Order: sequence, then C-alpha cells, then structure tokens
Amino acid sequence: MKNRLKVLRAERDWSQQDLAERLGVSRQSVNAIETGKYDPSLPLAFRIADLFALPIEAIFSRD
Amino acid sequence: MAIKPFSPRRNPAYRRYALRMLGSAGAYIAAIFGASRVLHKHAPASPEAVLIALVPGLAVLAMIWAIGRLLSELDDEYLRMLEVRKAIFATGMTLAVASVWGLLEIFTDVPSLPVFWIFPIWSMGLGAGAVWNRLTLGDAGCA
Repeated sequence: MKNRLKVLRAERDWSQQDLAERLGVSRQSVNAIETGKYDPSLPLAFRIADLFALPIEAIFSRD
Repeated sequence: MAIKPFSPRRNPAYRRYALRMLGSAGAYIAAIFGASRVLHKHAPASPEAVLIALVPGLAVLAMIWAIGRLLSELDDEYLRMLEVRKAIFATGMTLAVASVWGLLEIFTDVPSLPVFWIFPIWSMGLGAGAVWNRLTLGDAGCA
C-alpha cells in the first residue's frame, strides 16, 4: 500500500518520534509504515486517520 | 539513531524480557555448573540424580516463558511482528538442522546430536532471524 504519512507529518512539522508518541507506537513503526515496509493493522490505520482527522482512504491507497 | 538497551524510549516489554532472560540464563549457567560438579556424566537415573539434572531444565522453561511473555506483552504491532518473524526463522532453522542431521545419523556414522542442543540452536536461530529482519526490513527487533 502507498500512504501520505510522511507528507501529512511534514505539514504539521512533526518528527517521526512526535508522531509515534501521538499514536502510542514506536518510532520504528512509524518509519516502517512511511517507507512502505509495513502495512498497519486496521485498528492502527483508524488511529492514524483519527489523529489527522481524515478518512483512511485519504491517507492510504492501493499500490 | 541506535536505541540503548535500557533507554526510556525502549518498549517496557523489552526491558522486562531482558531482565527475565538475564535472570534465567544466569540460573541456567549456575545450575549446569552445579549439576556437572555433583553428577558424573550418565550417572544412574536415581531420583536424586534426576532431580539435580532437572534444575537447569527449569531455567530453560523460564527462558521459554520469557519469550512467550515478550510476544504477549509487546503492545507495538510492528515490534511484535519483528519478534514473531525471528521465532519463525529460529523454528525453521532448528527443524532444518535437526531433520537433516537426523537423516545423516540414520544413514551414516556421524556423531549423534544430543537433543540438549535443540534450545541453544533455536536461540541462535533468533539471532539469525534478527539479521534476516535487519536485511529485509531495516530493523532487527530486540537482540
């Protein structure tokens, strides 16, 4: 899956650690999701969507 | 940036795992040395000898329990996946070594591999799995 996490994070001037703390996950998780090495579970994807106040499909899309 | 083993950013499940492993590995080494001082190799299986020989086994059980607890206590799904991948890698490696060596034992006169080595081989497999994680995902998991 592709995602816009890095862009959304940069728009808010958050570091990976900042985003990780807001989501309650490790910085490695944020990095792995951003670089497309790991697709988050549905619950975590919803948490990410809630944090950015966007629908999931506005953040994640098919390859 | 490398995360130090006991830095506050490290997941608390890793810290608990490290402490449990350190304790049970210490107990294991002490029990092995203790048993080898008290018992000669292949002593008759008297109740006392069996009891002494089983003490290191309890420490191994504690290590297996610590690994299980790590998998259930890790609340970060990505870090948990890294640990599960390591365990799968270790299991595959152990099955491969044991099965292939077992066939060699059946058909040739290679020395027999004591089953005692299964857990150490599996533990080495965890290390190899961490290398596999690092190469394929960029993160090793808890080493």
